[in-house]
Amino acid sequence: MNKKLVIIGSGPSGLVCAMTAVKNGISASNILVLEREGELGGTLNQCIHNGFLKNLTGTELASNLIKAVKKLGVECRTESCVLSLSADRVLTVISPSQGYQKIKADAVIIATGCREQSRGVLSIGGTRPAGVLSAGAAQRYINIEGYMPGKKTVVIGSTDIAFIVSRRLAIEGAKVITVVEPKSAPLSDKKNIKDCLRPFNIPFQLNHNVTKIYGKERIEAVDICQLDKKGKPIKKTKQKIECDSLVYSCGYTPDVDIAIEAGMRIKRDTKGPFTKRNYETTIPGVFVTGNAHYIHKNIDKILKESVVTAESVAKFLQKANQPKKEKKNEDNAHIDRKNQE
Amino acid sequence: MAIKSYDVVIIGAGITGTMTAFQIAKYNLKVAVLEAGIDVASGSTRANSAIVHAGYDAKEGTLKALLNVKGCEMMEGITSQLGVHYKKCGSLVIGFNARDLEELKKLKARGEINGVKGLRILSRSELLKMEPNVSRDAKHALYAPSAGIVCPYDLAYAVAENSATNGTDYYFEFKVDKIDYDGKAYTIYAGEEKVKAKYVVNAAGCYADEIAKMIDDDLPFEIIPRRGEYMLLDKSEGKVAKHTIFVTPNEKGKGILVSPTVDGNIIVGPNANIVDSKADTSVTEDGLDEIAKGARIIMPGINLNAVITTFAGVRPTPTSGDFYIRESEKCKNFIHAAGIESPGLASAPAVSEYIVDILKNCGLSMRKRKNYIETRTINGNCKLFYEMTERERKEAIKNDPKYAKMICRCEMVTEGDIINAINRPIKAKTIDMVKRRTRAGMGRCQGAHCRTKVAEIIARELGIDISEVKKFSSNSNLLLGKTK
Repeated sequence: MNKKLVIIGSGPSGLVCAMTAVKNGISASNILVLEREGELGGTLNQCIHNGFLKNLTGTELASNLIKAVKKLGVECRTESCVLSLSADRVLTVISPSQGYQKIKADAVIIATGCREQSRGVLSIGGTRPAGVLSAGAAQRYINIEGYMPGKKTVVIGSTDIAFIVSRRLAIEGAKVITVVEPKSAPLSDKKNIKDCLRPFNIPFQLNHNVTKIYGKERIEAVDICQLDKKGKPIKKTKQKIECDSLVYSCGYTPDVDIAIEAGMRIKRDTKGPFTKRNYETTIPGVFVTGNAHYIHKNIDKILKESVVTAESVAKFLQKANQPKKEKKNEDNAHIDRKNQE
Repeated sequence: MAIKSYDVVIIGAGITGTMTAFQIAKYNLKVAVLEAGIDVASGSTRANSAIVHAGYDAKEGTLKALLNVKGCEMMEGITSQLGVHYKKCGSLVIGFNARDLEELKKLKARGEINGVKGLRILSRSELLKMEPNVSRDAKHALYAPSAGIVCPYDLAYAVAENSATNGTDYYFEFKVDKIDYDGKAYTIYAGEEKVKAKYVVNAAGCYADEIAKMIDDDLPFEIIPRRGEYMLLDKSEGKVAKHTIFVTPNEKGKGILVSPTVDGNIIVGPNANIVDSKADTSVTEDGLDEIAKGARIIMPGINLNAVITTFAGVRPTPTSGDFYIRESEKCKNFIHAAGIESPGLASAPAVSEYIVDILKNCGLSMRKRKNYIETRTINGNCKLFYEMTERERKEAIKNDPKYAKMICRCEMVTEGDIINAINRPIKAKTIDMVKRRTRAGMGRCQGAHCRTKVAEIIARELGIDISEVKKFSSNSNLLLGKTK
C-alpha cells in the first residue's frame, strides 16, 4: 500500500496534524493515521479532568478532534502497531483486522507522545511488592477500568498528573496520606496544589522522599525522610508510614522506540529525535511532533507545534511532487543552530 | 480421595529440581515436582547473575568443579533442544597489578586441572581490543571462551515445560511441612495435602536443610542465606560489554561483575551479604551504592543512569563450600541435592545427570519413555513474537490475529504471546508469571504502560474479575476494589 502521509499516533498531536495536512492541500484519502490502542485519542482518553484548551476535559477534546478528523474523511486505524520504519519510509504494521502489512509513505509524522519514567523509584530500598505503580497507571485503573489501585496512598512527585491523580484518589474515597517531592520546588504550577491538594487536605512536602518500601506481597508501609541540600536523606527525620499503595510520577520521556530502532539521531537532553527547523528528523521525509519530539509544558504548545509540523510536511510533499529541477535542498542548508546544542 | 503415588517426587522447582525432572522425564516413570512458591524458579533461580561459568573458580577435585565444567559443556545441547536463548559470550577476569596476575595464573592452572578448555591470559592491548570500555588501568585478563549467558528462569521454564509435557505433575504453593517414611515409601505433606513417593529428591535450595530435618537427617553443614543485589541497564547500553567481566577474585568471592544478558541488557552485581531471612530479597541503598562502585572499577564510564530495574536474590551458601549431592545416610532412597549455590545454574545439567545416576544406584529401574517429546510442548518450542522471523510472524498472525495485537511495545509482546503463556503446560496465572514467560513489562517502561492490559487479558482468560488478578502470589492483588 502507498500513502502520501502516514501519521503514527492518534493523540492530540496526530489528529491535529491530520486536520492541518488536509487544510494544506493533502487529500484526505492520501492520509492514514495509525493508532496502537483500541481507541483514538491517546492519553487524552484517561484525562477526565478539565483544563484542556477552553476548559474542556481531555475526553471532550479527544472526541472533538476525532469527530473533526473523521468528518474530513481521513482513515484512522486502531489496534495498529508500527513494528518498524525503514530509511525509505516503508512501515511494517500489524493489526488484528489487517494482519501483517507494509505501507510505503512519501512522508511520515511520528506523533507517538510520551511515556512515564520509572527511574526515580528504582533507587528506593526495600522490597518490590504489589501496589507500587505509576501515576498514569493509577489514573487508567480509576478512570477507565473503574478500580481502586489503593485506599491509603503515598504519592511521590509533583508533576501535574501526580496532583491530579491525588485528587482523583481522594474523590474516590482513598486517603492520600502525603505527596512528597525530592526537589525544593514543585514541577507543576502552584495553582495545581491549590486546586488538587488543599481542598482535600492532602499534605505536600518538598525536600522529602520515600527511602524504603516494606511488604512482602502487597505494600505495607514506606519510610519517608527529609533530604538535605545535597539530596541525601537526613536519617533522624525518618518516619515509617503505613500505606497500601505507592504512586509515583517521575516525569516523562518521548516514546520513540520506532525512531531509535530506525537509527535516527536522538538528542541527549530531550531524549527525542534530532530535528531540523521544519521538524524533519535525520531520516528524510520523516517528521516528529508533540511530546514524541520533546516533553511540552502543556497541551496548547503541543497543538501549536503539531499545526506547524503538518504545514511543513505539506510543503515537503509539494516540493517532492514538483518536477525535479536542479536540486538545492534549502532545508538542509540552515539546520537549526539551537538543535545542534 | 486416593493419595497420588509417584515413583519420584522432587521437592523444589528451581533450576536443580526442574532440570532433574527434565532428565527423569526421558524415562518411563511417574514423577511429581512440589514447589512452595507459586511458580517455577521462585527462589534463588529467579534472581542471580545469569552466568554459565566456565569452571575455573571451583577448587580442583570438588564436586562443584566436576559438575560446573560438565554442565557448561552440556548447556548448548539442552538450550538448542528447547529453544532457549543462550550465548557462549566468553568471560574475562581482569587484573590490575602483578599480584592479580599471579592470581590469574593460579586460576588458569586450576581451570586446566578442572578441564576448562581454551583458557588464555590476555595482554592489556588484547583485552582492550575485545572490551574497549573496560578500565584503562586493567593490565591483564584471563579469558575463558567457554563461559556463557542464559536466562535462568527461561531455562527453568523450558525444562519444566518439557517435563510437564512428558507427564510430570507440578504442584505449586505446596509447602512441604512433614515427611513420613514407612520403610517402603514416603508420604509428603503440605498442610492437608499429601503425595506418596518411592524416591525423593530434596532440591529445596535455601530450605534443603529444613527438608532434611523432616526425615530426622542433619546435613553435615549449614546453609547460610547470602543476598546479592543487582541492577539491570536499558538495552541502549547493551553493547558496552561483550563478555562477562569479573575482577580478580579475593577471599570474599568472585565479586561484582558487568555482563551482557541474552536479552540485550547489561547486568551489574552482585554483592554478597549474609541476611537473617532466607526470603529477604529486598534491595538497600547501601547495597546499590556498593555494586555501582564495583561496576565502575571494571568500567569507569558505565552509564548507571540507564538503570531500568534493581533486584536481589538469596543464594543457599553451604558452610562446607561444596555441593552436597548424595543419598541420605538416615533414610534410603532419599537424595539430597543441597548447597547448590553459584555456579548452580551452569552446573544444573550435570547435577541432574548425577542425581539420575544416584537414583539408578539406589535401585530405581529406568526404562526409556516411548513417545518421548523432545520439545517444550506438543506443538514444539513455541517462539515468542519478538523471536520470530518475518515469515513466522506473518504465519502466526494468519493463524491467530491476536498475534497482531501489540501489548508491550518495549519488548514486542503481543496478545497472542500472553494467551499462549497462560495456556502452556505450566500455566501463567499472575502478572509476574506472564512477565517472566513473555518479557511483557520487562522493558524500559517496566510495565507502566502494559500492566493494566496484561491484567485484563489474565482476568479474561482465567474467567476472573480484574480485581482478583495478582502480581505474583496469593496476597499480592493489583487492585483493591471498585471505585465509587
